Amino acid sequence: MTLWDGGGDGSAIAESTKGARRLASSASDPTASAAVPARAMPVDGRLLLRVARRDGADRLGDLYMHDPLRVLFPRPAAGDPMQAVLATTSGGLVGGDRLTLDIAVGESAALQLVGQAAEKVYRSPGADTEVTMRLDAGRGALLELLPQGTILFDGARLRRSVAVEAADGARVLVGEMLTFGRIAAGERMRGGLLRDRWQVRRAGRLLWADALALEGDIAAAIDAPSVFGGAATLGTVVHLGPDAGRSLELARALLDRDASGVRSGASLVEGVLVARFLSADGAALRAAFGAFWRAFRAGACGLPERLPTIWHV
Amino acid sequence: MTFAGHLAPAALYRLMAWLSPAFPTGGFSYSHGLEYAVEAGLVADRDQALAWIDGILRHGAGRSDTQLFALTWRAADANDVDALLDIAELASALRGTAELALESHAQGAAFLAAVARAWPSLRLSGWTGAMATRAIAPSLPVGVALAAAAHGMPLVPALAAFTQAFAANLVSAAVRLVPLGQSDGLAVLAALEPAVQATVSSALAIDPDDLGAAAPVVDWCSMRHETQYTRLFRS
Repeated sequence: MTLWDGGGDGSAIAESTKGARRLASSASDPTASAAVPARAMPVDGRLLLRVARRDGADRLGDLYMHDPLRVLFPRPAAGDPMQAVLATTSGGLVGGDRLTLDIAVGESAALQLVGQAAEKVYRSPGADTEVTMRLDAGRGALLELLPQGTILFDGARLRRSVAVEAADGARVLVGEMLTFGRIAAGERMRGGLLRDRWQVRRAGRLLWADALALEGDIAAAIDAPSVFGGAATLGTVVHLGPDAGRSLELARALLDRDASGVRSGASLVEGVLVARFLSADGAALRAAFGAFWRAFRAGACGLPERLPTIWHV
Repeated sequence: MTFAGHLAPAALYRLMAWLSPAFPTGGFSYSHGLEYAVEAGLVADRDQALAWIDGILRHGAGRSDTQLFALTWRAADANDVDALLDIAELASALRGTAELALESHAQGAAFLAAVARAWPSLRLSGWTGAMATRAIAPSLPVGVALAAAAHGMPLVPALAAFTQAFAANLVSAAVRLVPLGQSDGLAVLAALEPAVQATVSSALAIDPDDLGAAAPVVDWCSMRHETQYTRLFRS
C-alpha cells in the first residue's frame, strides 16, 4: 500500500488511468506557444517491456508500445546485457501529456535501459505533464537505467513518479539528471512546477523515498544557498544490490577522485546507495556523472567499464 | 477534536515541555548538515546562517516535515490507522542520507519513549505498536504529531510549536558552530519568524500529491559530513 498513486501494488499502466489532475487551466500565456511544438492533442504514451531469462539467454517477453513511446534494441557490446533504447517521438512533452512505463526484468535476467536523448518538458499554460514509471527487478536480476537527462523549460509543469520494486538479491542501478531551464541558452526557470517522487522497495518493503518539490519562482530556490546553491543541474544515482557496504566505499572513492568542481557525495540509506551531483554547469555535471557511472557499473555490478554508444552521441 | 481551536492550559503545558530543548530527544547533537557547511565555508556569519536556515524551512526538511506532521495528525485524529501507517512509512523513508535518517529516527524514537514514560496514553501506544508491527521507524514529525493527537492538542498550535522547535534547534547549532554570539542567535531566530509562519500555513494546506521538499545542498553537506575528519555533531 502507498500514500501515492503509481507505486506499490498493481501495474503502472492500470494506475495511469486515474489522471485526476489533467484539467487545463483557462489562463493563457501569450509567450507559451513560442517554444512548444504545435499539436492538436496531448499524448498518452505507454510502454510495457518484460525481459525474461529462458534456456540460458535473456529474451524479450512482452513488448507493448503506444506513441510517442518507442523502444529500440541495438546489439549490445560484448559483455554488456541486452540494451533497450527509449525514445519519445513527439519531440518533447507538453502540458497534458502523459507517459506510462512499466518495465520488468525477470529472475536472473539483465537489461540496460538508456534514453535516446534528453527529454524536454516545455512550458505549460496550466496542465501538468505526467510521467509514471515502474521498474521491477526479479531475484538475481540486473536492471540498469542510464539517464540522458530531463530539461525543464521555464514554465514547465512535471509530475513524475518512479517506483522501483526489487526482489531479494536483485541489483538495480538507476539515475536521473534534471536541468532547471535551458541553462546553456541562459534561460532560468522563473515559473512552473516539479513533483518528482521516487520510491525504492525491496521485497515489498519501502527502503528509501525522495520527493523533490518545487514551484513558483524556481530560480530563487536554485539560488538559495542551502537549497540548490546556484546549481541548476542535479544528478542522482540510486543503487540497490546484495553488497551494499562495498558499494558505498566504491562510490566515495570514485567521487573523491573527481576534480571537476561538481559538488558530489554519496550515502547508504537502508541499504540503498544514493549519490548526488550538483553543478551550475550542465556539461561538467554530465561529464562527472558519466565518469562515475562508467566506473561504478564496473566496480559494483561487474559490467564492462563503458557507456553505450548513444550516451556519446 | 478541534483543528485550530483553543489550547487548554494542560495541553499547552505538555506542548511546551515536549518541544523544549531540555526534552530528552538529543536534538542538540544534530546539525542537519550545518557542521559540514561551516567547515566548507558556506556559513560564516549571521546573515549566512539566516539564509541557510530560511532555505531549509521554506524548501527543505522544514517544508516536508511540517507536511508530514499535518498529514499524520489528521490521520491520527481520525483514528485512520491504515492512513497513519502509510504516512509514517513514507516519512521514515523520505530521508536523503544515512545521517539525516539517524537524526529523524533517533529523535523520533527518543521523543516517543520519553512521552510514553511521563505521560502514558493507550491511544499513543496503540499507534506506535502498530508501527512497530510493520517495522516502521518513527521519524520525529510523526512522533510529535502522534503524541499531540493522542493528547487532544489541536493541529495548528502543535504544528507551530514543532516548527519553532525545528528552527530553534538549527539556530542553536549555528550559534555553536559558526559561532554566533547569543544576541546574533536570537536575531536570527526572530528573523526566521516569517519563514516559520509561511511554512506552517503552507503545511496546513497540503495535498498528499504535493508532498515534498528540495534541499539537495543539505543532502550533499550531510553526505560529506559522514566522512568529515573533525565532528561534534551526529549529522
